[in-house]
Amino acid sequence: MTTMKSSKRNALNVRAALIKSVLLMVLMCVTGLALAHGERNQEPFLRMKTLHWYDVKWSVENDATIQVNDVVEMTGKVHFFSRWPEVINKPSTIFLGNATPGPVFLRVETYLDGVPMIQSTGVELGHVYDFKVILKARIPGRHHVHPMINVESAGGLVGPGIWINVAGNADDFVYSITTRTGTEIENLGSYAVPNVVKWHAIWAIVGVLWLLWWFRRPLIIQRYLLVKQGSWSQLITNNDRKIAASLIVGIIVTLIYANNITKEKYPRTVPLQGSKAHVDTPVNKYAGMVTVKNLSAEYYLPGRTVTVKAEITNNTNSPIQVGEFTAANIRFVNHSVPAAMKGVDVGYPGELVANDSLKISDQTPIQPGETKILDIEATDVAWETERLSSLLNDPDSSYGALLFFYNAKGERIIEEIYGQIIPTFID
Amino acid sequence: MKLTTNEATLLSAVTTPNSDAARISRGLDMFVVAILFFAIIAAFHIHIMLTVGDWDFWVDWKDRMYWVTATPMLLIFIPAALSYPFMMKFGLPIAGTLCALCLVIGEWISRIVGFHLWTYFPYSMIWPAIVLPGLMLMDLVLLLSRNLFITSIFGGSAVAFAFAPANWPILAPYHEPVVHMGQLVNVADMIGYSFTRTATPEYLRFIERGTLRTFGGESTLISTGFSGFVCMILFFVWWKIGEWLTNLGTIPNVVKKHVGLGDDDDEK
Repeated sequence: MTTMKSSKRNALNVRAALIKSVLLMVLMCVTGLALAHGERNQEPFLRMKTLHWYDVKWSVENDATIQVNDVVEMTGKVHFFSRWPEVINKPSTIFLGNATPGPVFLRVETYLDGVPMIQSTGVELGHVYDFKVILKARIPGRHHVHPMINVESAGGLVGPGIWINVAGNADDFVYSITTRTGTEIENLGSYAVPNVVKWHAIWAIVGVLWLLWWFRRPLIIQRYLLVKQGSWSQLITNNDRKIAASLIVGIIVTLIYANNITKEKYPRTVPLQGSKAHVDTPVNKYAGMVTVKNLSAEYYLPGRTVTVKAEITNNTNSPIQVGEFTAANIRFVNHSVPAAMKGVDVGYPGELVANDSLKISDQTPIQPGETKILDIEATDVAWETERLSSLLNDPDSSYGALLFFYNAKGERIIEEIYGQIIPTFID
Repeated sequence: MKLTTNEATLLSAVTTPNSDAARISRGLDMFVVAILFFAIIAAFHIHIMLTVGDWDFWVDWKDRMYWVTATPMLLIFIPAALSYPFMMKFGLPIAGTLCALCLVIGEWISRIVGFHLWTYFPYSMIWPAIVLPGLMLMDLVLLLSRNLFITSIFGGSAVAFAFAPANWPILAPYHEPVVHMGQLVNVADMIGYSFTRTATPEYLRFIERGTLRTFGGESTLISTGFSGFVCMILFFVWWKIGEWLTNLGTIPNVVKKHVGLGDDDDEK
């Protein structure tokens, strides 16, 4: 009987251990997914009608392993959509940076259209800006690395990201600079920290000694009764007064002395720089080359397909074809246009490029001066996995995207397309 | 005020050297000091985190205007309020010093564990401000004067007047000029730029704005002067709040007779 009970208990223990293991694995899978930046949680209208990132390239491949202190460069173009959502501020104040899990990478340099982006800047809607972000690996781990532009009162709008594995030891990280006064800072992360600790310690010792001066005497019951009795001469003695007066003088003298030696040591200082950088509005080289008009757009939920009926007029001298439809960092490429296929780098994050070809109702080129009505069909599970299908829950049920056209020479023309989108829920 | 017979007996007992009453009284002192230590760390640290916030968190927010102006004003609330019970009930002019030490301990714990070990920010970016000299001067003025108005004027303003001078020796190295990407910044700007705060972009820094800098370029002096004036008023106001809260009194416990305890005459 006891043996039976024992074996039953063992079986239960094994089962419990199995269940726990499975739960742990599930938990690990879930936490694995949560390592990115929640970019999929941004409302689709925000991602589709704010920034369109394209030609994004990283100096390392997706899932590459680099060492602490290695440098990574992200470059590309970012298009500020003309039909910016009404619910957020226009990008009159923005900051170019990187979306990483905090300072696991150090930001070395950032440029918007060649202008250094230490400060914030402002941009114009409907224009395309080149960006460059240079980072230096600092903390080992597997990190998701995106370019990002923070827009005042809209938050961070992230571009496509890749995974980068950083190997090595965080203690080996070094970032050295030389100040304008000639001070060589060996490591920016630990610069002048001993001085901070020294002054904190000096004042803490003074404070502790002052408290001990009082704590060495009975505190609560006795003093409460003495206060009630009005025996202030016993509560605060002449010695206390003398010490207090000396401390006042000592503190003031220390402050003056500390500031004098600081002034001698650092005679040249500048205040924090809080100005705004200026970036000239770039010329829109594609202006007027193609006219795109949205006639209708439908999101077919069961098939995860967006179909756009668009009227397209070719105002150039060469025939053109639709090569790519891109929205919210998801790329739908027309496989029958070689120039478009060439634009997809090998290292580009696979989850952001649709597997199937972009379907066009008429693949024949649009001739110069010709106007065509085309059905453009973008199908991929990415609509679901990137949570773009939730645009049906948005207060603004509209979409925004870029259309890439290519002529026979492989030259690219980019035009915005936007409009209302109608859902179809059933087959 | 005259002590009651019981109080006089108690005072006599606790002042008798090596008596049981004196030992128990000392034990109570230590117990209360330990509780106060953690309570003040928690309360004061949270208060400063929520109000001074980024100005104290980051080296590139410590500017000549808002940091210098706002920090002393927000620092003085709790020490001024606690000064009333500490001084007027126990004759202890130590509320400012105790608060300052507790705050600095809480801040360093937060910076080391939360900011550095957890989220990898370097110490050069996240050190807390020195607040002790000003708050200690406030205590010392209270001790010497035992007068609310004098302490408000000289002690309250000392919190502001000592703030910038106490911190300049640690801040100055971070204000050395640097040229990066052809732009003039200082070391603090460089640190803020280099170590990514994903959700705190540069434009969120509320620094050096407004017209204060046009006053002969002496922003720190003017900010300190303004802050000192406001601190005088704030010390008075928060002392009064401390007085009001200390003397709220008690509500008679009408339930205790149901658990076998008699009425307490003092509560009626």
